Amino acid sequence: MTPRNPAHAVLVAGAGGVGKTTVSAALAVAAARAGRRTLVVTVDPALRLADALGLTELGNQPTRVPGQPHLWGAMLDVTASWEAIVRRHAAVDVADRLEENPFFRAIADRFPAAQAYAAGEQMAEFIESGAWDLLVVDTPPAVGGIEFFLAPRRMRDLIGSRLLRWLTGAHIPGRRTVYRVTARPVLRLADTVLGGPLLEEIAEFLLDLRTLYDGLSHRARSIERHFRMATTVVVTTAQPTPLRETRRLFSELPPLAGRPDLVVFNRTLPDEWSARSRLRSPGLEEAARAALRHNLERWAAESGRQRDARHDLAARLGVPMASIPWLQEAPTSLAGLVGLLEAAAGLHLDLLGVTGDSPAA
Amino acid sequence: MLDRKLLLISGKGGVGSSAVTASLALAAARSGRSVLAMGMLDALGLADHLGVDDLDYEARQVAPGVFTLAVDRARALDEYLRVQLRLPRPTPTRQLARALNVLVDTAPGVREIISIGKPVYEVWSGRYDLVLVDAPPLGQLFSYLRAPATIADLVPAGSIREQAGRMEELLADPAASGLLLVTTPEELPVVETESALAQLTREPVIDLVAVVANRILPELAVSAALVAGLPPGPHRRAAELHQALWSSQRRWLDALPPGPRLPYLFGSHSPEEVATLLAAAWEQP
Repeated sequence: MTPRNPAHAVLVAGAGGVGKTTVSAALAVAAARAGRRTLVVTVDPALRLADALGLTELGNQPTRVPGQPHLWGAMLDVTASWEAIVRRHAAVDVADRLEENPFFRAIADRFPAAQAYAAGEQMAEFIESGAWDLLVVDTPPAVGGIEFFLAPRRMRDLIGSRLLRWLTGAHIPGRRTVYRVTARPVLRLADTVLGGPLLEEIAEFLLDLRTLYDGLSHRARSIERHFRMATTVVVTTAQPTPLRETRRLFSELPPLAGRPDLVVFNRTLPDEWSARSRLRSPGLEEAARAALRHNLERWAAESGRQRDARHDLAARLGVPMASIPWLQEAPTSLAGLVGLLEAAAGLHLDLLGVTGDSPAA
Repeated sequence: MLDRKLLLISGKGGVGSSAVTASLALAAARSGRSVLAMGMLDALGLADHLGVDDLDYEARQVAPGVFTLAVDRARALDEYLRVQLRLPRPTPTRQLARALNVLVDTAPGVREIISIGKPVYEVWSGRYDLVLVDAPPLGQLFSYLRAPATIADLVPAGSIREQAGRMEELLADPAASGLLLVTTPEELPVVETESALAQLTREPVIDLVAVVANRILPELAVSAALVAGLPPGPHRRAAELHQALWSSQRRWLDALPPGPRLPYLFGSHSPEEVATLLAAAWEQP
């Protein structure tokens, strides 16, 4: 068996609704056209990526995009994430017991880091498979910001926390011991407050969960390594929430994944729009003329706000910035994605650690 | 709507629910009410829109009639144990809180009930005419709303269970409490709003007051045909973009139940200005 090189990963992050999926797809199309074997992975509830790539459905397994020899698409499956994690890292009997535990269901439903972590595990598998040169990851929408990058650490913390060790007592990972919560007066008091032997049940559950620690923490560390090696792209618009998420990514990503390499401003308006432009259309009624002027004034103000936001970010962050014009509709075809790339400014593949001169073998 | 005691404001992330919460607080205070606006998961957005750097667990006044605070889970847990469960003073609460912290992170509904408990206590305290909550985004909202019932199922008896039952009643009482869902007329926010509405029908944990559509573009008083006949240039391109976005908004608005519409605010405004402008929009008939 010949050793296979891992793929380079481009992680596309940003607040929800800024167009991460579209940008990911466009970048993947560009890289594939430059001859790189490219896989684009997403967790897109609207299935727009599948539509745009011409795939009837996007499954867990990578599917080749029709007519594109170097492009594949896949959907990250995070719905059964906890079950998959447990099956992967725990013995069968422990996994069975965990899945039957009511607390397990509660954690599975609610601990968002698990979904993001499961996406990270799948990402690592694709990177390590050697089947692709480049992996473009559209980070999960519910956790599209920093959460995706924090998930491996959160999982390690949850299962290996000092607090948990304190509660479950000295314990050798992998060997489950029967533990009596009632041996501790404080915990007995807690149970009195709660009105039942709740903590004991939880401790039993946590003991099972702790047997995952070795496997999971090893895997989590390899995901964290992949994050640090990856190129990160932050997508934003000039709206306050995405801008706040962008600043947060810049302040919190460096220890996890390095400084972001590129900011993509989506939905940009033409820079030169100014309310002072003349309207050369003689014979236009005064009411229509006034309405058109007023409309341009508003959009020129909007363009000004975008310019301010871009300059502010550029001064603060000092990274390359690309911009994509505000399209009337999001692209729904491969041709639309190519058109988007052509209309974009500053979106060069070499910024992503991808060069076009090294075609797939 | 402002006559209820408790209003929760939620929506998909980024649609402006913090701005809407702040604007409602300002509008309600202007009508003479004493209002508490609370941040739950991420209080920074609400703080920005109320013109303060950060929110504290202790309520403070930011404008005439407007008070604000952020729910801090550790403090809320402490308050819950001492005030609500009337735990005796000599209890080693720090160690107990440590044990309960594990519980909070693990047991279904505990974390949520401590957070959702805080606004409920504030209603019970009777200090304000109206309590507004910048609630968790749609993806997490139901685990909070469901928390009292979850706890009641889990805990066989005792004061926690009693408290949970009273909370459930207050949240479900349409005379006292209600939910405002904020959305923007775009695909994903509308799709998420529709599924939240379906969920509310299946699980009537709180009364829906309204779906608030935010960032609504005004109609351009010029026909598309006239725009198409204009000479190329910024006026035509701005009008074309506006009309395309406006008709896309129309399509998504048609999928929503009728309700309040808040305007798109063009140009640069500080978060505080956004809240003030939206408050003015609430006051229009």
